[in-house]
Amino acid sequence: MPARVLILGDGDAGTIMANKLRFHTSRKDVEITVVGNSKNHYFKPDGVHISFNMLDYKKSVKPTEFLFNYGVNYIADTVTAIDVANHSVKTAGGKNMNYDYLIIATGDRFTPEDIPGYSESARHFYNLDHALELQKELKAFKGGKIVIGQASIPIMCPPAPYEFTFLLDEYLNFHGLRDKTEIHYVYPINSVFTIPNVADYISKKMEERGIITHTLFNVDSIDPKNKKVQSLEGESVDYDLLVMIPPHRGQKVISDSGLADDGGYINVDKNRLNYKDYDNVFAVGDATNLPVSKAGATAHFESQYLSNKIAADTSGNVYNELYEGDVACTTVTGYEKGITLFFNYNKPPRANFDSKFDYFLKWQSADTFFSSMVRGIA
Amino acid sequence: MDVKADHIIDARNSYCPGPLMEMIKAYKQAKVGEVISIYSTDVGTKKDAPAWIQKSGQELIGVFDRDGYYEIVMRKVK
Repeated sequence: MPARVLILGDGDAGTIMANKLRFHTSRKDVEITVVGNSKNHYFKPDGVHISFNMLDYKKSVKPTEFLFNYGVNYIADTVTAIDVANHSVKTAGGKNMNYDYLIIATGDRFTPEDIPGYSESARHFYNLDHALELQKELKAFKGGKIVIGQASIPIMCPPAPYEFTFLLDEYLNFHGLRDKTEIHYVYPINSVFTIPNVADYISKKMEERGIITHTLFNVDSIDPKNKKVQSLEGESVDYDLLVMIPPHRGQKVISDSGLADDGGYINVDKNRLNYKDYDNVFAVGDATNLPVSKAGATAHFESQYLSNKIAADTSGNVYNELYEGDVACTTVTGYEKGITLFFNYNKPPRANFDSKFDYFLKWQSADTFFSSMVRGIA
Repeated sequence: MDVKADHIIDARNSYCPGPLMEMIKAYKQAKVGEVISIYSTDVGTKKDAPAWIQKSGQELIGVFDRDGYYEIVMRKVK
């Protein structure tokens, strides 16, 4: 009888995990089932370019059910409870599913309710609807003060706020609006990015472009009537357009099932990705509280490790490798400018120069993603 | 240090910006007058946490070197 692998979540992490594992195992040895409730799979990194109408959004969306490789069972349903002690999962559709291996890839969710005033006035580009809405706002913008920031740490795709900021600077220049616009960038910690040498590189570029930065700025509330963002530290910045990444938390089902930390994320072993003492319960992607970027590029490397491990386990072999926190992330630093960051737990990334090649790598990455990465090929 | 902490956060082996975020979370939950102590092994936090305490107008009681980690102690004053 094949080992039953149950994967919760059909985003980047769940889909890549299922497809990679299918490549690494035979159907005789392993049965793979994915449970998720996304009708479409939206390639989120495109949100930055879609906001500036630099990409056709239709290329960034594919029907979820068609992204799984042959031999992966996909069930469109919502998980309502996870019982790791009894190896079972319940769904809204009334299913009670048992497993031999559980892989939690439920990602995170936006919690705008955490910041008073957020929903009334803030814009962002972290889902397709909001990216298109922001595109309209930018088309109508005639000058003033734009404030960009993030309402919490962690967020998905941590470089996205600075990517948006640099493209905005060039977009305003192109439309003759830069000298009529102040760009303010607010950030929660004592620099403009979480990784020190990348922060130094980004900070210098912001200074060169006349972008005004406010560090140690943790958003406390937003006053939509007077158009002001108030920080916990007592600083206030007014705006005409506010682009603020919403607060994130892990999925509610993870907290409700008693698996989460305060932020709703799962505490897993940083090298083995297993939950507590369970050797058959794992988490990958944004659902974990690992000290590594919440990004598809992270899920890709985690899935590589975990699919190798489960393939070895189920075929009677031993897998002694560890997940070392590997991430490879291409980010935009302006129009036709980009940097690719390679790093892991022990080696910080280098950020030395802008590359046109890296920019185009990012600009067309939905094609790469849907044709190979999500399929588990790359 | 002869000040007793009301809230102790053990953020050792947590990477930047984890310890700072943990301290801010504790600050939000604490009452005015309470003392918060954070343990950290992250080098950046030794500079960033006092900077946050100063900017937010709280009281920095001290930064203390301990055995293999350090401790930052603050009082919530507003």
